[in-house]
Amino acid sequence: MKILLLSPEMFLAEGGIARIMRLYLKALCEVAGPAGRVDSLVLNDNPARDKRLGRYGNKRLGEHLGCSRSKLRFIRQAIRLGRRADLLICGHLHHLMIAWLARLFNARLRYYLVAHGIEVWRPYSWLEKCAMSGAHRILCVSEYTRHQILRFHPGLTPERVVVVPNTLDPYFSDRDNVVPSAIPFAGPRLLTVSRLLSTDTYKGVDTMIEAMPLVRREFPLARLRVIGTGDDAPRLQELATRLGVAGAVDFLGSVNDEILRAEYAACDLFALPSRREGFGLVYLEAMTYGKSCLGARAGGAPEVINDTVGQLVEYGNIPDLAAAVADLVRHPRDSEVVRRHADSFAFPTFTRRLAAALT
Amino acid sequence: MVKREQHRGPDDNGLCSNGPATLGMCRLAIIDPANGHQPMHSPDGRFSLIFNGAIYNHRELRPGLTARGWNFRTHCDTEVLLAAYALDGAACLGRLRGMFAFAIWDATEQKLFAARDPLGIKPLYYARLPDSGVVFASELNALLAGGQIPREIDPASVGEYLAWFSVPAPRTIYRGISNLPPGHCLTTDATGRTKTAAWWHLPPPAASGRVTTNYHDFIHGLRHQLEDSIRAHRVADVPVGAFLSGGMDSTAIVGLMTKSGASRLKTFSLIFGESGFSEQASARLAAQAFGTEHHEELITGARVAADLPRILASFDQPTGDGINTYYASQTARQGGVTVALSGLGGDELFGGYPSFRDLPRLNRVLPFWRRLPAGLRGRIVAFLGDRPDTRSRKLADFLAHARDLHELAALQRRVLPETVRLSLLSPNVRAQTQRLGPNHPMLDDFAFELIGADPFQVISAWELRTYMADVLLRDSDVFSMAHSLELRVPFVDRVLLEWLWPQPTWFKYDPRRQKKALADATADLVPAEIRNRRKQGFALPFPRWMLAELSPFLEETFSPVSLSGCPWLQASEAAAMWQEFKTGRDPRAWSRVWTLAVLINFANRRTLP
Repeated sequence: MKILLLSPEMFLAEGGIARIMRLYLKALCEVAGPAGRVDSLVLNDNPARDKRLGRYGNKRLGEHLGCSRSKLRFIRQAIRLGRRADLLICGHLHHLMIAWLARLFNARLRYYLVAHGIEVWRPYSWLEKCAMSGAHRILCVSEYTRHQILRFHPGLTPERVVVVPNTLDPYFSDRDNVVPSAIPFAGPRLLTVSRLLSTDTYKGVDTMIEAMPLVRREFPLARLRVIGTGDDAPRLQELATRLGVAGAVDFLGSVNDEILRAEYAACDLFALPSRREGFGLVYLEAMTYGKSCLGARAGGAPEVINDTVGQLVEYGNIPDLAAAVADLVRHPRDSEVVRRHADSFAFPTFTRRLAAALT
Repeated sequence: MVKREQHRGPDDNGLCSNGPATLGMCRLAIIDPANGHQPMHSPDGRFSLIFNGAIYNHRELRPGLTARGWNFRTHCDTEVLLAAYALDGAACLGRLRGMFAFAIWDATEQKLFAARDPLGIKPLYYARLPDSGVVFASELNALLAGGQIPREIDPASVGEYLAWFSVPAPRTIYRGISNLPPGHCLTTDATGRTKTAAWWHLPPPAASGRVTTNYHDFIHGLRHQLEDSIRAHRVADVPVGAFLSGGMDSTAIVGLMTKSGASRLKTFSLIFGESGFSEQASARLAAQAFGTEHHEELITGARVAADLPRILASFDQPTGDGINTYYASQTARQGGVTVALSGLGGDELFGGYPSFRDLPRLNRVLPFWRRLPAGLRGRIVAFLGDRPDTRSRKLADFLAHARDLHELAALQRRVLPETVRLSLLSPNVRAQTQRLGPNHPMLDDFAFELIGADPFQVISAWELRTYMADVLLRDSDVFSMAHSLELRVPFVDRVLLEWLWPQPTWFKYDPRRQKKALADATADLVPAEIRNRRKQGFALPFPRWMLAELSPFLEETFSPVSLSGCPWLQASEAAAMWQEFKTGRDPRAWSRVWTLAVLINFANRRTLP
């Protein structure tokens, strides 16, 4: 089976989509079969091969091309590689028109869309609808995303819109290689991981900061550790100062995997009360370390977080959020149960689900 | 707690404790009045039931349960429900036809099971206690009477109320108390672990099997379903009457009741001195045509002003609607009936609201609207939002926030445009409300349930799930029960709805003819003058009363002292809204001012026992 994978980015950034597209590459290399070949085309990445590529591709990986954000090059290469492919996996709705175009040059090409989250929770243009209708299947990260797609494109056959939940990076979840944090903390340590963009305030980092004064009434030494960067960071820092909790909120910025894993391992609770998570890969990452998770009852989060691994609260309800934080700090979920739950999203399961969806 | 619900059931009451569970009940005796004391226990003592409502098909269910070994001791529907649950558990819900909210304690499994009817005719509120206990009741005041839950108004619910005329389920106006949504059930064990789940969904949009293929068969089938629903809803061992406003829905109900054999039927309507509101002539025409014993009650602004303290005290959370139901129920009860049938639900089922015509048109415009440059769109929305009239502001809300028909259908029921709502809230509450956004809190749930539905079904479902469930049915329950009257709604019937839902839309709805299907199905009953009349609605002359007889109440409500009891409101903005209404530039704004006044009054009264 010859497969072409189109991704918006893979190694250039550390966002959720980049992380999951690496795993798509890894899984496709496994399902391609002994005589198979997987070509990979990435819009935003640089042409130079990233040193991590070896972890995600095996001997069936053919060409892996970064297009340095050149859309023209991306389209040209997609058509060239698409002519010899049997399957094309499109990692973003914005590129689906290119998949549709590639099929004009290769009538036997079957193309698929990976639908992550908010990028597909909206009305579609006529062209997008045409391209979606031509897809052999749409692979959704959660049932919530599947419902949103069917809501905004009711003309799609429901059976062709299937759920393939995200998975954990086997490398990232290697718990034995964690370097413990050097800084000891007396109070409970709350962790949130998110990009901090002014266009993504729905992530709920501000609600966590707003809940801190209430949390600190019960746990005066509680600290919130915020990992991530973006143009919203100054507003969040100002918010923490205004609420008098600047000393209790640590903005760590962007960190490498090693530090991130150490933070997961050291925290008492992972919290991202986001209103619009397509899936919430970060919850799974935290669960790998046996940590209780707190999310909002919205989007795909309820499909990842259940009562045995954490709590869900109403988005934006600060008193309830603070109460849930206090409750989970006092009564953390059984770490073994949490890890087992994370294991149900393990990479081998993902590969099996993906293989079934591609048939 | 039981005493606090006495008005809902003055005929009998009971209380029992069984292990960690205590059940209490006030009964309005309708079926087998001499028996049916509650809580009712199974012969082996395992199950104890309290039940609010009526199971209309209890006679049909009885033989099957008897054949399976249940030895009935009464002729009461309560015992049928007890037997059905004891034999089948939660699976019995799918066979029940009626309106109900009930709770049943299983002493063997140490588990409480509670459920609410599919469309939300009977309410059920519950709250978790700090000691892991769970309390539940049919009214919020009963829950609060237990003294374990603080009477603390939830600011987030205030934001919702100002948007939707009432607080949508699962919220209530009080922090910590939930409203079990229609068609949901709840289980809680002895440790207080509580779970809720939906047990009923709207039928699939294109359910096959019973879809009619021509209009004649459809009308014939609809007539059969309507007669069947009326027959079911007339089941009672006490006098049954009907509300008769003179509109299409209530006239059809009364016509069908007469046709099904109701003799010496009592009908009730409200009349007003103000021209343009009363449907007196139509109601009289219908009453004459069906030979009913018709009762009319004159409602004046002075009377409403005098009764207002009692009216406001009778509801357990604020509502911007429902005073007509208060008086109609009072009139019916004083007229000698214990059960009354109402035409509520006809507009939702048969497309009686203008939204059925307007929203699909607007939805077709949205893709073109989205193609305009963002700056231009912003300027148009700002221009419309700044205009003083309600229509322009509503259009601004649609254009600013609606992305598809679901969002249009939800937003069209908003009382206050988003900008006005936000300006009325204090800064803290405003920030929280802004985060939740302008859309209905159940948008995703309802939209997902309706995947594949056609535009008529989408609008119908939104009307059923929001305005009807959260406002009309809730108010009907509260205000009818305030007069110990059982109000029944034959159009809000699961069997009728499940038959009607998958039928072709062009049979059910014609934008050129109001409620065409209902009119044709009852053409031999409903006088032509009523069938061909434009919809008027069961409205009161509130805009006039608010500037006259109700003015002192409103002046006091919007006074600085009164507004100081509402820390979640921006007092100056609230007072300005009342002042603006008095200038009389937009009489359609009355509902906004009234909705706000009811909330302020409620907040100032809530500290009273």
